[in-house]
Amino acid sequence: MNENRFATAFLVPGGLWLLVLFVVPVCLVLALSFGYTDDLGEAIYSTRLDNYERLVDPDYLPVLFRSVGFALAAVVLCLLIGYPVAYYIAVFGGRWKNVLIALVVLPFFVNYLIRTYAWIAMLGDDGLVNGVLDSSIRFINTPWAVIGGLVYGFLAFMILPIYAALDRMDPALIEAGKDLYGSPWETFRHVTWPHTFQGVLAGSVLVFLPAVGDFVAASLLGGPEEVMVGNLIQQQFQASDNWPFGAALTIAMMAFLLIWMSLYLRAAARETKEARA
Amino acid sequence: MSAFDRPRFLRVFVAVFFVFLFAPIALVILFSFNSSRSLQQFDGFSMRWYETFFESESLRDSLIASIEIALVTMLIATVLGTMLAYGLVRARTRWSDTANVLMLVPLVTPEIVAGASALLLFTQVGLELSLTTIIVAHITFSISYVTVVVRARLAALGRQVEDASMDLGATRWQTFRLVTLPALWPAIIAAGLLCFALSFDDFVLSFFTTGESPQPLPVRIWTEIRFGVRPTINAIGSFMLVISILSIGLALLLPRLLGRRESGLKVLLGREAA
Repeated sequence: MNENRFATAFLVPGGLWLLVLFVVPVCLVLALSFGYTDDLGEAIYSTRLDNYERLVDPDYLPVLFRSVGFALAAVVLCLLIGYPVAYYIAVFGGRWKNVLIALVVLPFFVNYLIRTYAWIAMLGDDGLVNGVLDSSIRFINTPWAVIGGLVYGFLAFMILPIYAALDRMDPALIEAGKDLYGSPWETFRHVTWPHTFQGVLAGSVLVFLPAVGDFVAASLLGGPEEVMVGNLIQQQFQASDNWPFGAALTIAMMAFLLIWMSLYLRAAARETKEARA
Repeated sequence: MSAFDRPRFLRVFVAVFFVFLFAPIALVILFSFNSSRSLQQFDGFSMRWYETFFESESLRDSLIASIEIALVTMLIATVLGTMLAYGLVRARTRWSDTANVLMLVPLVTPEIVAGASALLLFTQVGLELSLTTIIVAHITFSISYVTVVVRARLAALGRQVEDASMDLGATRWQTFRLVTLPALWPAIIAAGLLCFALSFDDFVLSFFTTGESPQPLPVRIWTEIRFGVRPTINAIGSFMLVISILSIGLALLLPRLLGRRESGLKVLLGREAA
């Protein structure tokens, strides 16, 4: 048998699975987003634009902006925290490198709900900190609590690609920067940063995408003023039972995220090409 | 040796980072052994919250359901993902480059989109929500993880060994079974265990596709948390952590136990040498 045909046959089961259970459902959501719910609450497919008009409604538009704002804040914080940590592990980790990076990843295998809940236990109105300090500081139900929850939730996605980029970098380059009388800061700016920029980009996208769509952090750590688009989508598909509007919210979010996704995918495409060459 | 001295502030920064990273988790584990309901004060060691967890029949059913979902997801996703990886690396068609990139899309799609669209599909075809619907949704999202990990290993492997096997008279199928597959085992096992951990911990997909009962453990935790902070959650969370660490620990160690020199971490990150 020809090798190409033999290998192509392997693509069929997985490819079909993804087609039927990933591509088709997303198309269904797209189709339903032009629909409406009838008097009985039944979702009907149609060709209306009502759901999209509702998105710019003053009830919903601020939620969309807030989601992007919270997610961007989370990306910036993840970068500010994650870069130094990745740098320290990659450059100074020595033989502890693998242990340290495993320690970074470990907490992300604690269930996301439990991790978020742990912050409530710690910072809640009658949590540990307020108990120990005998105070009543309000940490939870603030925007920063939600942003903090997102950071804690997705930080590993930032650290891993930056660490990978730093680890790939030849340490001799830093040595050369020093030999050429570059200060640590100059060496970082002209040598290290450009070499790790792809990692930063990948990390930023990998944090941004799940953060925009998240509803757990805002549900558990935020109040009514911190509602995000994920919460709206979840409500439409469950409590309020307006699936067509939920579908429109989903599609609008996906359309916005596609820009960022394509950035990431293009970088990934370049990498696979290099790997195959 | 690195070119610049270890700046002290960086060291302090990393130390503080690790404290913040682990403090909440340590708190959950510690208070899962608390003898009182309090989350502010540790009143002595006790197993009562674990007893509450294991004595509740419905929580036990949920635990079993979660393990069942994760196991089936692991098995099916590993087979499909490995086949896909082989096809993506070895088949040369006009669409190869596109397909290699497109299969990353499920990885970067927010889970809520996946959850909502899976729910819509199941409702449209009239499938009743149950453990099966959860498993199907989980598999869809695990395939890509497996493919990424196995694909990296396969690309690093090169085709010389396979060519040699064919030259020695093996058929394509024999070559795949006796040469390619054994070389891929470390990656396949690591990817499978990663799937197990991800599926076991998953909340969003399960939340959208779960039936009435039994519901997987994370969905139960969600319901419990909405009622406020409860000590049983500490016990459930700590117990789930043990299972996750076991599967991830196996994913990291098994490649080594199989007699390979590279670490499981590198296999998972897809960066091992050929």
